[in-house]
Formats: sequence, structure tokens, C-alpha cells
Amino acid sequence: MSVKAFELVPAVERELLMGEKARINIECIECCGKHLYVGTNDCIIHHFLLEEVTSSKGKLSYLAQKLLHKYLGLKKPVAELRAASALERLIVLCDGVVFLVDMVTLETVPSAAGGGAKIRNVTGFCINENPVNGDPFCVEMGVLTSKRRTVQIYMIYEDRVQLVKEVSTPEQPCALSLDGYFLCLALATQYMILNYNTGSFQDLFPYNSEERRPIVKRIGREEFLLAAPGGLGMFANAEGVSQRAPVNWSERVICAAVCFPYVVALDESFITIHSMLDQQLKQTLSFRDGHILQDFEGKMILASTKAVYVLVPLPLERQIQDLLAGQRVEEALTLTEGAQRNIPKDRFQILHKRILQQVGFIQFGQLQFSEAREHFRKGQLDVRELISLYPLLLPASSSFTRCHPPLHEFADLNQLAQGDQEKVLHCKKFLIRYLEEVRSTEVVNGCREDVDTALLKLYAEQHHESLMELLTSDNSCLLADKLPAICCSSVHLLCLGKIENCQDLLLERATLHGKLEEHDKALQILVHELKDFQSAESFCLWASSCQDSTYRQKLFHLLLSVYLDGNHCGRSNAGGSGGEYDMAAVDLLNRHGEVFDAAQVLRILPESWSLQLLCPFLNRAVRASMHACRMSQIGLGLAHSENLQLLHDRLEERKKNIVVSEKKGCHLCHNTFSQPDVVCLPGPVPVHAHCVARRVRDSPTKRLLANSSNHT
Amino acid sequence: MKKPDVKVVLLGDMNVGKTSLLHRYTERKFKDTISTVGGAFFLKQWGPYNISIWDTAGREQFHGLGSMYCRGASAVILTYDVTNWQSLAELEERFLSLTDTANHDCIYALVGNKADLTDLKAQLPLDLSGASPASLSGTGLHKQVPREEAMALYERILRYKGLDEKSSLPAEKMCFETSAKTGYNVDTLFETLFDLVLPSILRKRNENLVSPTVDLEEYREASARRGKTCC
Ligand SMILES: Nc1nc2c(ncn2[C@@H]2O[C@H](COP(=O)(O)OP(=O)(O)OP(=O)(O)O)[C@@H](O)[C@H]2O)c(=O)[nH]1
Ligand SMILES: [Mg+2]
Repeated sequence: MSVKAFELVPAVERELLMGEKARINIECIECCGKHLYVGTNDCIIHHFLLEEVTSSKGKLSYLAQKLLHKYLGLKKPVAELRAASALERLIVLCDGVVFLVDMVTLETVPSAAGGGAKIRNVTGFCINENPVNGDPFCVEMGVLTSKRRTVQIYMIYEDRVQLVKEVSTPEQPCALSLDGYFLCLALATQYMILNYNTGSFQDLFPYNSEERRPIVKRIGREEFLLAAPGGLGMFANAEGVSQRAPVNWSERVICAAVCFPYVVALDESFITIHSMLDQQLKQTLSFRDGHILQDFEGKMILASTKAVYVLVPLPLERQIQDLLAGQRVEEALTLTEGAQRNIPKDRFQILHKRILQQVGFIQFGQLQFSEAREHFRKGQLDVRELISLYPLLLPASSSFTRCHPPLHEFADLNQLAQGDQEKVLHCKKFLIRYLEEVRSTEVVNGCREDVDTALLKLYAEQHHESLMELLTSDNSCLLADKLPAICCSSVHLLCLGKIENCQDLLLERATLHGKLEEHDKALQILVHELKDFQSAESFCLWASSCQDSTYRQKLFHLLLSVYLDGNHCGRSNAGGSGGEYDMAAVDLLNRHGEVFDAAQVLRILPESWSLQLLCPFLNRAVRASMHACRMSQIGLGLAHSENLQLLHDRLEERKKNIVVSEKKGCHLCHNTFSQPDVVCLPGPVPVHAHCVARRVRDSPTKRLLANSSNHT
Repeated sequence: MKKPDVKVVLLGDMNVGKTSLLHRYTERKFKDTISTVGGAFFLKQWGPYNISIWDTAGREQFHGLGSMYCRGASAVILTYDVTNWQSLAELEERFLSLTDTANHDCIYALVGNKADLTDLKAQLPLDLSGASPASLSGTGLHKQVPREEAMALYERILRYKGLDEKSSLPAEKMCFETSAKTGYNVDTLFETLFDLVLPSILRKRNENLVSPTVDLEEYREASARRGKTCC
């Protein structure tokens, strides 16, 4: 159940800090912007400048530059270091004494220069990160001294150090943290919260501080993280209430900090990372001789006894994608939603939508349809992403392309189902339900045709009873779309079946026959049953609208023969009405002469027809063939003259001289010529032979070719 | 993080089935559990309200955390195992004192879990009780805790808490027998409690309305931090 949330990056190596000296250990660190201070057990403060370097590959590293080190002269370890950057001082605890040194020179600030009185017999101190004093040049400090059962509150000003409060505690305190007026204390046998302003206090829970080192860590406004029995990390707010479930550490954790949404804890051999969102252990990094873990303005710094490291969080998006890649949808969603407060609102919304959609597809792939639907809906999925998984459902005219980077790893439904037809069927049923649900909502704005057409095809294929309902209600189906033969015919057959015997729907029947490419049946109905010649003509135009000219010609010839046959039948059966069809045939020829193959028409026309009658048709036919003939002659002439022109240009170029010398430069690389092998580009432009070669190699068309050949 | 309006806490000895009850209610299934470490909570949307339900650890080791979990609770579910008399006794001996930090008007429920092991009717979820009992397996275990015992404890709790028996909720209503395994009575338990704590939610909301507070601390922290990081 791991996720890579952090990376451990070395910051100050052992060499830089202590060289080969074996007995030197790091005791404390402080980081303030780029300034890193390290206190060691030989009473020295080291000052480094820490530069963040990002490699071209995006890999982060740190470059530490040593600025200064200073021996404090006390022969004791430097126990604590805290920056008071507004005062440009470091607060130092060494040999039980708290005093101030200059942040730049590391010189002790003398009392006369505002160094203030030293605080003696100190066993530990903390800085109030949520100060109650409005003065930005005042640092508030909680201090534990060897004086029994008390905590002291100091204010450090530029020119003085002032004891403002002394509170007594029921037991000996051994660790503390301060937020506003709230002191969170580890006493010998329990933790407690104490308001030093009102004196009120709240017991938290028992803990044996002698057995295990307590941890009292402020993690946010009025919230603390505490080491609890059984290796737990417990959260407690100033009211003494736990608002988050505890995390389960090892028993030996020595330091902890929060880098939202993670709790990072350090013991002697490992860094463990738990999520505050689901309390799960997410990552473990081995870390030898773990000693210090502290966060400085969001930067997590760790130290072993010999070296300093930075724990760098990986980009959230990447963590989420890693979780999704492992199909850990719950965790991915929790992490995304937990990040809401750390990301600008608009960016969060985009991220959130995308993750919801990805989660939906993962669940879709696992056939967890109700969950998938919910996530598609919440993520406002462009339905076409889903439709496009089903081969041939989107109309050919659809402009849709899948989003990039892709929302899922499936090529199509067949790959997803791996040949399991039952799965395919389930997926299709799901899509039907989903499309029915969304087709009337605004999610499908702008792609209504795609959605309705896909639904129609699915209905047809599944012989779904809602087919007619869809067709007869307000819909955006594209019937002209080249439906795959099976869907197409089944839609139309189904419809035809329903209206076969219905005299009122002749026109619809004709249309449906047309869609089934049964053109002669359609024309029979239009011509003989409806006697609507206008529509018959329009039908030919419509049915051939997306086809080439021979197809259209075929249809018109068909109509002509229907007319002529009608003429024939008319004469033998009904008598008299034959003239009607003759007129229709003549009109057709005269109106659409250019479509017909005149020679073929003349062959089938009845002998009896007068030339007069067909004059417009014949005129047009002759004109059309003359036109075609002349157009091709013109084309030929133009091509010939262009050829001559090019030939001429080439000869011209050959005649010109160009001078190449060592002073002249190649137009491609702008270096001079040093050798006589020169290529001349049209212009004339002299260039290096190798430059031309490279350019040809790198030219976009060439690259394109190279790429596409890679893919195939 | 959504801020809960109200808190309900499950207390009781280890192995009585607190985690299983919560699973049954929230996920509608009975799954394998491991003994809870520390504690966990679940946020339940109840109409417009958020109710946090805390599942605590019954193990002795984590006993000390109980008071903190109960602080500010509106309802405490004291859970025992009907097949284990000791688990009821532990409620009085160990767990009751943890509830001192709960709200003054906190509601207590006594819940005897694993009723499926002792009662035929609990082998089916409450709403399916029409099925024939012939299909049910025999009730192997002896019921160690009659409901009357739990009701008696409930009355004692009222007395310990100094609550007036007449104006408090009756034992009859607040003592449940459940089965996380079959789901018997589980919804009834939680939903009865939620309905009972609603007044407490409304009261809390009203209090917040009556005394609107401007958070000066927030502003101060922000400005002070700005001042400090000007280097
Ligand atoms: N037959 C039966 N077994 C149950 C029931 N509820 C829980 N169990 C079993 O009892 C055991 C303990 O259940 P948990 O829910 O983990 O108990 P718990 O109270 O949370 O225990 P801790 O977390 O250690 O405090 C598990 O083996 C469950 O399967 C029930 O209603 N009927
Ligand atoms: Mg449990």
C-alpha cells in the first residue's frame, strides 16, 4: 500500500560538516530561508547557504555552501537553535543557558547591545508560532527550567528579554509546545493543555515520559501532535479534543512533523509517512542514525548524527496518478479532495474533475457500473469519451478526439472485455442506461447528435424497445450517418416492420427503403403509389448526396426507367395515365440532363419521342460533353507552358557564377567556408555540403516520416 | 475536512464488536476485523448534519485515550457481548469513568452485541423476520447477559451521572440487543441515537448564532508571521 510521496535529498554531507572527525555529532538544526544552521556537540554553530538546484531532467538537489562556523566556547553541545529572523538573532541553548547570537556573524550579542540577560538552568524551550503579542519584533518563548514544576513565558525584544509569566504544573514538565495562550505539555505521567492566560487546564491522556520520550509538536492553529501509548501519533486541539483519528507509528519514534496531508515520523532507522486523511501508512524510507526531523516554513529537514537531508514532497498530481495506476481509487480521491485547501480553487476543480473521470473509467473497467456512473456524473465527463470506447458508435461526422493525456488505458471495448462477450453486453447495457440518463442534460451540449446517434445504434443493435420512442420523439439522430450495415439495416427493418401496412406512412416507408439502399422499392412507392415526382427527384438527389457522380447517375437512370416502365404498365393496365409518366421522364431529362449518360439514354428512349420534346436535354448533353473536352485541352496547354518556364529557369541558373571565398559565410550555419566543397541552393545561395545534408535530415517532413515509421 | 456537528462514541471491551457494528452500519456488511489500534472515526451525513462516529480501541493499552475521545460527545454507545458477562461488568468498572468528559446532556445507550449467537430472532436482520426459523442454525452459545441486567446497569448509570430517572430516556428504549453479523437491530440503534441527538445539534447551532465571534487570533497570527519572515 505504498505511494511515493517524498524523496530524500542530501543537503549537507558529512565531509562539509565534520570531515573525518569521528566524535562529532549533529545536535540541532535551524533553517530560515536559504540559511541553514547546524549545532554540533563540540559547541560549534555551522552556517550554510542552501541552494536548491533543479537539473534539466527536473531532478532536485541541494548545494550547500559553508559560510561560517563559530565555537561558542562552552565545551558543551549546542542543544537548541532557533532563529528570531525579525531580530536577526539566533536563540541558542547551550550548557543550560539561553543566549542570543548574531545571525550573520554568529557573535554573541552582548547585553549592552540588547543581548539581554541570559536565561539560566534551562532544560528546553519552544517558540510561539502563533504569538499573542502583536509586535512583530518580539519573539515569545516557553521555557522549561530545572526549577521544579513550572513553565516560564518570556518575551524577547530587540533590547531586552522579559519574563512575563510563570505557571506551575501538577507534575514536572519535560516537553512543551506553544500556540497562542495554549501550552501543550508532556508531564511525567501525562499530557495536558494549559491556558497560561486564564490558568485553566485540560488533561489529555496518560503517558509515561520516563519510559518513552514524549513528542509535543504543534502542527497548526491550536492543534498538536503527540506520541501516545502503543506507538500512536495522537492529535489534540486546544480544547483537548481529538479531531482526527490517530496514526499508528512504531514505538521508537523520536520526532514527528506534518506536511499536509502527511504525518512524517522518524525513528532510529526509518522515516514513516502516514496519511492524515485515511491514517494509512503510505511510505517508508530507511534512514540510518535518525536524529532530528523538523519542518521549517513547510520545508522538512532531517538529520542523522552526521549529515543533513531535505525530505522533498513529490508533486501531488504525480502522487495521485501513481495511486490511480495502482487502481487505488479511494486513496486517490481522498488525496485529491484532501488537497483542496492547498491548491487554488480553479486548478483544484480541473484536477478534481479529471481524477473523478479517471476513477470512473477504472471502475467501469471493473464493471462497477454504479460507482463509475457516479464518478462520471460528478466529474462531468464528456460522454463521447465513453462512447468512443465502443467501436463505430460515434457518427463518422463527429469531430471528437479523446482527451490527452488519456483518461484510461483502454483502446476500446474489445480490448477491455478481452473477448468476453458477456462483458461487452454488460458494458453496452450500461452505456444505454447512461446515455438515456444524460441525453437530456446539459452535459451533452454541443454533442447531442453524437449522443443520440450512438444511442440509436445501440438500441438497434440490441433490438431495444425504446428505439421507436427515440425516433419519434425530439431527437438529434444522424440517420445519414453510415451506420454499420448491421445496425443500419436493423434500425430500418425494425421501423419498416412497424409501418409496413400503414398507408399514411408511405413517405416514411420510402425513406426507410432508401436508407436500406433499396432504391428501386423506394422509387416505386414514390412514383407509383404516391405519384409524387417532385419527391422522387429529390430522393435521388438526397440519396446520392454523399456519393460520387456515378452513383448519382445510376439513381437517375433508375428513376428514368421507373418512369418509362410506368408508362408501359400504365398503358396496358389503367390506360390513359401513361402520358403522366412520359411527361415526368421528359421533365427529368430536361432538368437534369448533365447527370445522364446521353448515349445510354438515347438507347432506351421510345422510338416515338420527338426530337423537339428532348431539345433542352440534348442541347445540355452536347454542351456538357463539349465543355468537358475543352476543359481538358486547356489543362493540357497550361501544364505544357509551365514546363517550358521551369526549363528556362534552370538554364538561367546554370549560367550564373557565384564566388565562394574564405570570407564568405554559409547561409545555414553562418560559418565561413574552408574547403571547396560547396553546394549551391537556388538563389543562388552557397552553403556547406554537410549543412544541407543535416537540414534535409532534420527537415520537418523528414522527421514526420521518421516518426511515423517508428510507430508502425 | 468537514467539521462534524456532533460526536457519537462507541466504547466497550475489546472483541465485543464495536468495529463490526460500525462496519455493518456504514458499509452494510460484516467483514473481518483486526483489533482496533488507537481509534478511528467515520463521518455520517444525517440530513444536513455531519455526525462523527468514533470507534475506540477496547484494548487495555489504549484505555487512557478514552476520556479524550469522549470529550464533548453527545452520545455514547456502551457496548458489551451478550455471550460474555465480563464484558458488561467492564463497562461499569473501566469504561463508565471515561465518559465524564462527555457533554452534560450526553445520551447513553447500552448495546449487547452478537445476539445472533444466542437469539433465533437475531439471526435475521430485523426487517426480514418473515423467513422461516427452520432454516436457521441452532443457537450454540449460552446467553450470559439477559437484557434486564443491561437495563439495571442503565438505571445505575443515570444515578451515577446524577440524572433524574423520570426526565431521562427510559431503559426500555436505550438498551439494545444487536448483531453486527446479521445486521439485526443495527440500523435501529444508530438511527434512534441520531434522532435523539438532533436537539443537541440544533442547540449547538443556535449557540453559535447567538454569539457570533470575530476571530482575532487568526488575523494576529497572519500578521505576525508576515513580520517575521521579512528577512
Ligand atoms: N457472531 C458474531 N460475531 C461478531 C459480531 N460482531 C463482531 N463479531 C466478531 O467478534 C470479533 C471482534 O469484533 P471487533 O468488531 O473487531 O471488536 P471490537 O470491539 O472492535 O474490538 P477492539 O477493536 O479490540 O476493541 C470479530 O471476530 C468479529 O467477527 C456479531 O454480531 N456476531
Ligand atoms: Mg475495534
